[in-house]
Amino acid sequence: MTRAAALAAILLLLALPFLTANQFYLHLGITVLMWTVLGVAWNLLGGFAGQVSFGHATFFGVGAYTMMILYLKAGVAPWYGIVLGGIVGALVSLPIGLICFRLRGPYFSLSTLAVAEIVRLVALNWEQLTSGPVGLLITTLPAVSFAGRAVNWESKIPFYYVVAVLVVVAMLATYGLSRSRLGAYLLAIREDEDTAESVGIDTVRAKVVTLALSAFFTGMAGGFYGLYFRYVDPDAVFPIALSVEMVFIAVVGGLATVVGPVIGAVFLVTIGELFRERFLVGHLIFYGLFMMLAIRYLPEGIWGGVRRFVSAHAPARNL
Amino acid sequence: MDTFLQSVVSGVLTGSLYAMIGVGLTVVFGVMRIINLAHGELVMLGMYGAFWGLALWKLDPFASIVIWVPLMFLGGMLVYRFLLRAIIPGGELNTLLYTAGLSLLIANLALFVWTGDYRTIKLKYALAPMRPFGIAVPIPLALAFGLAIVITAALYLFLARTDLGRAIRATSQNPEAAALMGVNVDRISMVTFGLGSALAGAAGVLLAPSLYLYPTVGEILIAKCFVIVVLGGLGSVVGAIAGGVLLGLVESLGAVYVSVAYKDTIGFVIFLLVLLFRPSGLFGVGKS
Amino acid sequence: MPLLEISDLTKDFGGLRAVSRLSFVVEPGEILGLIGPNGAGKTTVFNLITGFHRPTAGQIRLAGASLLGLPPHAVTRRGVARTFQIVKPFPKLSVRENVTLAAFMRLPARRDAEAEACRVLEQMGLAAKLESPASDLTLAEQKRLEMARALATRPTLLLLDEPMGGLNPREVEEASTLVRRVRDAGVTVILVEHVMKAIMRISDRVVVIHHGEKIADGPPDRVVQNPDVIAAYLGKRVA
Repeated sequence: MTRAAALAAILLLLALPFLTANQFYLHLGITVLMWTVLGVAWNLLGGFAGQVSFGHATFFGVGAYTMMILYLKAGVAPWYGIVLGGIVGALVSLPIGLICFRLRGPYFSLSTLAVAEIVRLVALNWEQLTSGPVGLLITTLPAVSFAGRAVNWESKIPFYYVVAVLVVVAMLATYGLSRSRLGAYLLAIREDEDTAESVGIDTVRAKVVTLALSAFFTGMAGGFYGLYFRYVDPDAVFPIALSVEMVFIAVVGGLATVVGPVIGAVFLVTIGELFRERFLVGHLIFYGLFMMLAIRYLPEGIWGGVRRFVSAHAPARNL
Repeated sequence: MDTFLQSVVSGVLTGSLYAMIGVGLTVVFGVMRIINLAHGELVMLGMYGAFWGLALWKLDPFASIVIWVPLMFLGGMLVYRFLLRAIIPGGELNTLLYTAGLSLLIANLALFVWTGDYRTIKLKYALAPMRPFGIAVPIPLALAFGLAIVITAALYLFLARTDLGRAIRATSQNPEAAALMGVNVDRISMVTFGLGSALAGAAGVLLAPSLYLYPTVGEILIAKCFVIVVLGGLGSVVGAIAGGVLLGLVESLGAVYVSVAYKDTIGFVIFLLVLLFRPSGLFGVGKS
Repeated sequence: MPLLEISDLTKDFGGLRAVSRLSFVVEPGEILGLIGPNGAGKTTVFNLITGFHRPTAGQIRLAGASLLGLPPHAVTRRGVARTFQIVKPFPKLSVRENVTLAAFMRLPARRDAEAEACRVLEQMGLAAKLESPASDLTLAEQKRLEMARALATRPTLLLLDEPMGGLNPREVEEASTLVRRVRDAGVTVILVEHVMKAIMRISDRVVVIHHGEKIADGPPDRVVQNPDVIAAYLGKRVA
């Protein structure tokens, strides 16, 4: 993707709210963007490093609760809360990584699932901190102004821009990683971890750093979730389904690419939300179906398939 | 002392059903080295089979098991033949992801078709629990336990005494050697997957009168299933049985003596500890 | 001072003793041949030196400093590089990327690492295949890629695990010359090999291992005449 195309995409992204006033489309856009952040974040660890985590909901939930608790109990403004949510998510990922990275392949994946469930159950039961199953609710958002005008929290537009900024930052981070030494190291680890070690790569450090980065963005997305939906409870932010959806978006879109998770999010979330509008339940049918189709016919994901097609018919470009 | 005995009994009864679910998963892993994430959904299908059997055709669940088991056996074989067989060569992780997709697909189709309303099965003869020696034993659970024992014993004999069972065990220990001995590994895999599915379905039918039914129940079940199977050792039938009963006991005793809230957590903590310190489990056959 | 000092090295795998009270040194600048019948424990010795296994007992010192307890990447960083008996390139990455990864350890900037990788690959005669995926190379080329990758970490000690296995006589010649050139450039080499001709021709000294124990240690021509060595390879009756 050329710089020009990337710039055009960013401009389109920023201009979207002015192209439509339809509340549903704006909501769809916001949801797609939030899942894009999640897919991109998961992809750092799952795609580049090849460590398939089924427990990323842990960081999402931790980010969401951090933001909510700091706002409701300490009056910390949500935008700071979102960043802090990311930081807390990253901190939490350190001990989790040290435990789970002792395992490889499917055993690693299952261990992350176990950790996520433990965290969910703790959140459910530690009522003093999290209010348990009752959850946390934001009734009023702070009165702020941006560029001289008061922000109208009744409209979806401010939320759109908050998440759009997150998306741009996440994608820049992914792009930076893909060009860096750490990014190269991750690809080696994905191919053959032992050989990577023998070539001087500190595999534990690389994985832990990547997980922290991944958890940071996931946590921020969680913080955003709290801001937008204004209500957080353990089953909304810590469920296994959420972790699984993140995996699917990255896999269906295209692992270890910068653009893949974006495609995955746009594709799956749009279909899912449209279905949910009409039928209310079962939208995950498509996630399951497309996951199966992807693994069977397009293991490099939609974007991987597109790239393969393009490079067979045109000179290769690096993405 | 009474409370203790009560918990032990409940734990063993529930544990036996967990064990059956675990055996289904572990037998598939043993032969094909795949972890079937859709296993929980197979149990769910068994549960709903029992429910609809009763609701539509007035079939007692414990009787309808004779219909559902062969059906699920067949279904499992078809899933292997037409879905899984092409995926397995792609590697463990790919297969794991594929079965994750299948799991989501089945659970959400069920959600769409049958709605998320909680269902229960009320059996007229099961309204009051039995009370042997003063310990409350719900009748459906006792019946389920009895049938689970019968089925598990039958399975054990099948694996130990029949040629097909021996072929399955051989393939589970060394697929290449088994192939060299004339075992059709592909056919054995198909039969084994059918077997695993049938066990899952049977467990579902047996559990149905004792649990709330909802389409996404598979999620919790598969999570418990991992704990069992890893605890007992992936690939080991005896291990899965031991693991199932052990988990049932841990949960039951944990609910009484530690806290009701955190009883589920204990299982996962044990799971992590086993994965970290004794990954081959108590009786494990082998890991990747 | 010897570059590498192995003292009383012992490794047990459960009930099996793979390496038993092994002691030898490697002087800087020499090519040491490590030979022995199959299963003697040679690759295990490499795995112990590079940190993939922890010794049950004994000591391993590189330039006087102990290597015990260091994870493999740290051992590489200290200056010990290795190749594998069964080649392990990163198959989906290109030849250049394979070696750049190794160069990154000493040269964190991508441009420097890539330049170093190209330089080493040219020395190994693989300049023409820079962009090919590693899996596309012939076996001889893959072995040279392994060596290039090891050399890109700028080692002081290079462990070669059967680099000539599977090569035809001409390729063995070329590989032998390559090993000598590497040594002449200042890298000390331990060479595990079964191809006797190569070992005899290029080793300065040979250590023979059998059942995890050292049974001979000396210049190649003397070692081949050692009756214990002959017995180990051909059986007691022939000796």
